[in-house]
Amino acid sequence: MIAFICILLTVLVYYLSKQLYKKVRFAFLSPLLIAPCILSSMLVGFHIDYSDYDSGGRWLSNLLQPAVVGFAIPLYKFRKVMKKYAKIIAISMTAGVTIAIVSSGLFSHVVRLNDHYLLSLLPRSITTPIAMAVSVDIGGMPTMTAIFVIVTGISGLILGPMVIRYLHIQEKLAKGLLLGMGAHGAGTSKALEFGSEEGAAASLAMVLAAIFTLVFAPILTPLILL
Amino acid sequence: MLKKFLNTILQVGYLYLFALLGNLLAKWLHLPISGSIVGLFIVLCLLHFKVLKLSAVELGASFLMSEMLLFFIPSAVAIIQYKNEILQHGSQFLIVILLSTITVMVVTGLVAQYSIRRLANKKGEIGR
Repeated sequence: MIAFICILLTVLVYYLSKQLYKKVRFAFLSPLLIAPCILSSMLVGFHIDYSDYDSGGRWLSNLLQPAVVGFAIPLYKFRKVMKKYAKIIAISMTAGVTIAIVSSGLFSHVVRLNDHYLLSLLPRSITTPIAMAVSVDIGGMPTMTAIFVIVTGISGLILGPMVIRYLHIQEKLAKGLLLGMGAHGAGTSKALEFGSEEGAAASLAMVLAAIFTLVFAPILTPLILL
Repeated sequence: MLKKFLNTILQVGYLYLFALLGNLLAKWLHLPISGSIVGLFIVLCLLHFKVLKLSAVELGASFLMSEMLLFFIPSAVAIIQYKNEILQHGSQFLIVILLSTITVMVVTGLVAQYSIRRLANKKGEIGR
């Protein structure tokens, strides 16, 4: 019963925050920032355990799996464009993944985080299940990584459009790649707001980022820990 | 209207089945990538070889993709379980994540834009 109520409540809060966002279009009011704030204050206010909430929440999180499968459709539709720009995509993604891992490590050193947190931060820019797997592989804490992944998603939703605006990025492919690379699925959903071609590029970036990180992270980790 | 609604639900079901199939394959073959990405490749292959029609999954996929933020919300709420870590290191985490995300996006965007324009110049087109 509580599971069902939690699903309903989450959908309702999401729906309302989405309506609000549509009206004001202010990046800091993204449903992914507002809705979790409202829901967690409700959990704290009504003394509901997260595990009880998640008995329902899990059903919604699970829908992320078919959503990722669904990214096959924009990829298929724009396969000719993707093929044409294959080399550019490979170069951009190699740069993106390397910078994602190295800069996470570097900034962690700068703010003096210990190695456990540093290692958990390294795979933060890719989709959750793979990020957690990489985290285990390089000796991080997978649950902390999952949190960093979601915070990255929220940050990317807000920062992505700003980066595009300030750098005057005009190519649809470049917009999609930076959103999918920087903020995984959350960035990809933002890219779809820009257009279907941007969405396709972001889906590809999300998938490639995950696969590249799987390979690059174990290689780069020892260098970062030096 | 009702027909479209039912069709969407049915197609979401299909996509879920492909995700489950992907999970099983990833487990059996000990693949390091997640089941949903394996599922994505399966659907891509089936579309490519015309086994699966685009119209059989398109409606469900666009529904799931447009409401995707909803599916992230429960994991975002999970942050309240880590009150201690966040009180202790929250600002450090945030600095690292914000700065690193900006850096990644700037580099990826600029590298992509530069290469696209260079390719366009080579071919004598206007890069757009």
